[in-house]
Order: sequence, then structure tokens, then C-alpha cells
Amino acid sequence: MQSSQDADSSIRLTDTDAALARFSAVQKGYLQDPYIKPFVPRSHLQPPRPPLINIGTFVRATAIDDLVFQWLQTSTNHGTRCQIVSLGAGSDTRFWRIATGAHKDALAAYVEMDFPEITTKKGMAIRKSKELSAVLGDPADVAVAHGGTGLSSPKYHLLPADLRLPPKETLGKVLASGSSPILSPTLPTLLLFECVLVYMSPAESSAVLQWFRDYFSPDGSGVLGSIVYEMFRLQDSFGRVMVQNLKARQVSLPGAAPYPDIASLPGRYLNLGFTSAHALTLKEIRKSYISPAELERISQLELMDEIEELDLVLDHYAITWGLFVPQSASFGAEWGEWGLRVKVAAQAVNSEE
Amino acid sequence: MGSDLDEQIEQLKRCEPISEEQVKRLCLKAREILIEEANVQHIDSPVTICGDIHGQFFDLMELFSVGGFLVETFLLLLLALKVRYPERMTLIRGNHESRQITQVYGFYDECQRKYGGSNVWRWCCEVFDYLALGAIVDGRVFGVHGGLSPNLHSIDQIRTIDRKQEVPHDGPMCDLLWSDPDDIQGWGLSPRGAGYLFGADITKQFAHTNALDLIARAHQLAMEGYKLMFDRTIVTVWSAPNYCYRCGNVASILELDEHLGQEYKVFSHAPLDVRSVPAKRPPADYFL
Repeated sequence: MQSSQDADSSIRLTDTDAALARFSAVQKGYLQDPYIKPFVPRSHLQPPRPPLINIGTFVRATAIDDLVFQWLQTSTNHGTRCQIVSLGAGSDTRFWRIATGAHKDALAAYVEMDFPEITTKKGMAIRKSKELSAVLGDPADVAVAHGGTGLSSPKYHLLPADLRLPPKETLGKVLASGSSPILSPTLPTLLLFECVLVYMSPAESSAVLQWFRDYFSPDGSGVLGSIVYEMFRLQDSFGRVMVQNLKARQVSLPGAAPYPDIASLPGRYLNLGFTSAHALTLKEIRKSYISPAELERISQLELMDEIEELDLVLDHYAITWGLFVPQSASFGAEWGEWGLRVKVAAQAVNSEE
Repeated sequence: MGSDLDEQIEQLKRCEPISEEQVKRLCLKAREILIEEANVQHIDSPVTICGDIHGQFFDLMELFSVGGFLVETFLLLLLALKVRYPERMTLIRGNHESRQITQVYGFYDECQRKYGGSNVWRWCCEVFDYLALGAIVDGRVFGVHGGLSPNLHSIDQIRTIDRKQEVPHDGPMCDLLWSDPDDIQGWGLSPRGAGYLFGADITKQFAHTNALDLIARAHQLAMEGYKLMFDRTIVTVWSAPNYCYRCGNVASILELDEHLGQEYKVFSHAPLDVRSVPAKRPPADYFL
């Protein structure tokens, strides 16, 4: 028992890592995010992360922002509001960026779930920060929930959960119970899993996805989208070293086992009856799915010599997105357009000969 | 300086720092030796060619069973060995031997931490300015850190460069330290922001013009330790196994015998056992 608790705290620490990486990328000018600082303890003492990590953080954030933006945009275009559920959200700032951005009216609900230790800390950080709490709305509408481990507000909900437990208990009770549940089964709903499922067993993460997939019934009208970002291809020599290095930090990656290559990744959705699914490595995304102007801009920020290593690292992380469109859903075809798009013309210089 | 120097070498091999005053004298002596060397040093076979090590002395010394070095200690040991055995060892400049890169990748910080100031870093950078740009073995194997330059067609042209300066941001000297061979025709822009990409045609032409059997270079991670390209006219030799304790690659050194026969000695990182990792190394970074 002791050892599994240690392992959990190591997993929770990975959130600190992610927050520091994001903070570093913001400090160095890769990303803009006025909301990350309150989530980084002693931020002024944190040394910047290496250029390779900053670039990877930028690629990941830019691509996921792109997918989320498209989701909000498609909802707006169809005159509907949408919901976002961020699982293992940690210190993510996405809600605040959306709620103060161009698509704030497209958001019906934004739910974040994580270990209670993390949601407690996050709730306190939100309440301590004027900038963060102001975005939640009228203070009279914001309440501490779940014995201090959660927060509720008109749109934003912070909920404690151990996602490895049976979803009926963890998800069903808090998201889907009562006469007006937090999560509507009829609105377009986007799930976010950023480095979350990889820490769970494949069976546990399938159960989570299955629960959502079932909540949005085939004869209903709610479109369901999902984005998973995490490491894969851990069976090769780079991957084996990663597994060893993380083991030294008491972090294990059982969720990566079924995914030895890029072709295996969409299966995580298709096996559960999703309509479509796609996967791209961060290496491919950096090469072709980020605007050349942005790549040019970030290339000026720091000296980056380790091109081969960057490609090697980015080749072991992927964004996999899946879509479930019920047959009766309106605008089904347009939802089918949702996905990352190539942003550079194929380069003639490097074409195969 | 002889016996003093031997003592310092022993000290450095045990990973013990030498004094700031000793570093200063060592750097001065190294400069005196390097200043006499040509831009392209002539070497006679047999010789062992070694690529990027990136301070992972722990790993290279696996071969000699010594352990646990940091970049700074390692560099000083190399300099000490060079001063002690100037004819038996040739150091050529890489793109990381520059003021700019050493400030980005930790060497500057390490000198600050260990010596409480930037003197040691400054002296080392002054030594870098005197390092040769390349070497040529028996007139037939050309060793260089990065690669070729569109401004350099012959080895004789390299000899006319005034090398005693910080690595420039562009131009022939920069290209020698930064360029990479690539599967393209002619020249291409480098993703590194310095130097060029050059294709098989360029490589073969340069080898032909200069009557070379082989161009041996480093600069790029090679997962298998070395990578021969373009009908064996060029090879990348990479000597840092499991680079940054993250990449999972093997490393190699290239031995050229007296007939310039090539033997690649591939070696790997010390066993992937957490206890064997030097305590001082920083943890490898991942996205979590």
C-alpha cells in the first residue's frame, strides 16, 4: 500500500513538471499565458527549462490549442454551445484562456478533474488569485465544493476524482446525476487527456472513454470529441531509456504498452465505437502542422543546436484525436472536418528521389 | 611542468578539481601549443577518431574504467593530456567550443559554480579560439567537426582562414563547424540556423578535388554510433552513448590502421542500472 501511495505522489508531481515547463515556455516567449504564474509556486526562483523542452512544450500546446479552438469555432458556427472536460487537468490554464478569449460564449461548461490532492491545491490557488477568481464570475455564484477539494461556478467546475476507479462511481455520480447534471448529453463535448491515460492501465483508461462514449448515445444528438496527448513507442531504445529514467522517479507508464507505433494509436478510440480517429507525432506536427511564421518566430527565441535529439524526443509523443458523431446529430459532416491540418506546402527540396 | 602536470592529470582522472591558478597555467600552455598548429593538422596513421562526447566522460572512460566526470573537469583533462602529449593527440574545434554555445549549454554555469567566477570559462574560451579547424590523416582522410562550406573547395583554402577568433555566425569557418550532410542535391539551408546542408554530389566533388578517401565528421547524433553516407565518402562518428542519458543510442570511435583501414568500435552506455548513474548528473528531461 505504502509503495502504491508513493507511486501516486510521483504521478501527481508530474503536474508540477508540466506547470514548470509551461511557465518556462511563457517566460521565454514561446507561449502567451497570463494565468500560469499563480499555479507555479515560487515562480521567480524557477530556472528556465532547456530549449528542447521549451520547443516541445510549444508544439504540444499550439497543436492542442488548435484542436480546441476548432471545436469552439465549429460550435459557434452551428449556434450551439459546447462542453469541455479536462481529465487529469492539473494546473492547466485553458479554462481561463477560453473564458477571456474570442470564443467565451461558446462554452456551456468547463469541467476539470484530478486527484483530490491536486484539485485542493488548485482550488486554493484560484481563490488566492484575483485574476483567476474574477474569471469565474460573480463571487456569490462560486462555491467551494466536495469538502474543499472542489470548486463550482456557473461554467467552471473543479472536481476531485481518481480516474482509475470504476467510472460509474467517479464520473457518473458527479457529472451525470440529478435533474440538471453538470454534463449535458446533448451538447458537443470535448475530452482532454494531456499525459494522463499513460499513467493508468489500458483497461482503466478504456473504461473512462467507454463511459463518455455511452453517455453520448448513438441515437442522441451530442457529438463527442477527445484529445489524448502522451508518450508512446516505448519499446525502442529511446523508449526503454525513458521507462528506466522515469522508474527512477517512481513513475511508471503502463498505459503506453498497447501503442508501439503511430498506427496503433487511433485504435484506442476505434475499438470503443468512435466514428473516426487520427494520430500525429509531435515531430510530424512540428514539421508540417504549425504555421511557418510561428516556427520562424520561435526559432529566433533561443539557440537550438540539438536538432536530431529534438526529433528523437518529439517522435515519441503523439496527439491522438477521436470523434463520435451519433447518426442523428446535425452537422455531422462538418464535425468530421475537425482535426489538425497541414500548414506548410510539401517541400520540394527534400522530396524523395 | 612535467611531473606537476602528471599529478594534475591523475587528479582530474579522479574527478577532483584543480586550482584556478593551475587552470590558468594549463590554458596558457595549451594555447602556446595550439598556436603552432595549422588550421588543418597533419596526422600520420594509425589513429583513433572520436566524435562528440558532450562531457559524458563517464561513458567514454568505460573503455578505460574511470568514472564520473563533468564537462568542465573533462575538458581540463583533455587539455592536460594535450599539453602532456602534444604529438599524440589532436583536438579540433567543434561548434560547442564557442562563447555563445557554452553559455547556453551549461559549461559557463558550471565554471561559475565551481570557481565562483567566470575566469576559468574565459581562459577555456581563449583556448578554443586556437583549436585547429580540421585534421588530415596521411593526406587521405579529412577530419572536421561539422562539414563542408560552399565557400571552400579545397583543403588549401581552409589553411588561409584566420581561425583565431570566436566562431562567426556565418562564413567558411562557421560552416566547417556547423554543416551537415543530407540526402539532397547541392546545398540546402540548415535547420540549425548556422552552416549548410550538403548533398552527395558536393561531398564526392570535394573528396575528388582533394584526393580524399573519406571525410570523417561528428556533430550529429547517430543512433548506431556511426553512419556512413554517399558511397562511404563521408562518415558521422558519434561518441556519446545514451546521449544526455536519454537518447538510448550506442556510440563509436573510428580506428584507422596504417593502411587507413577503418574499424568502428561501437560501445554502449554503462548498464541501465540506476545505481551506476553518476549522482551529479541532472535528471533527463521529458514532457510529463
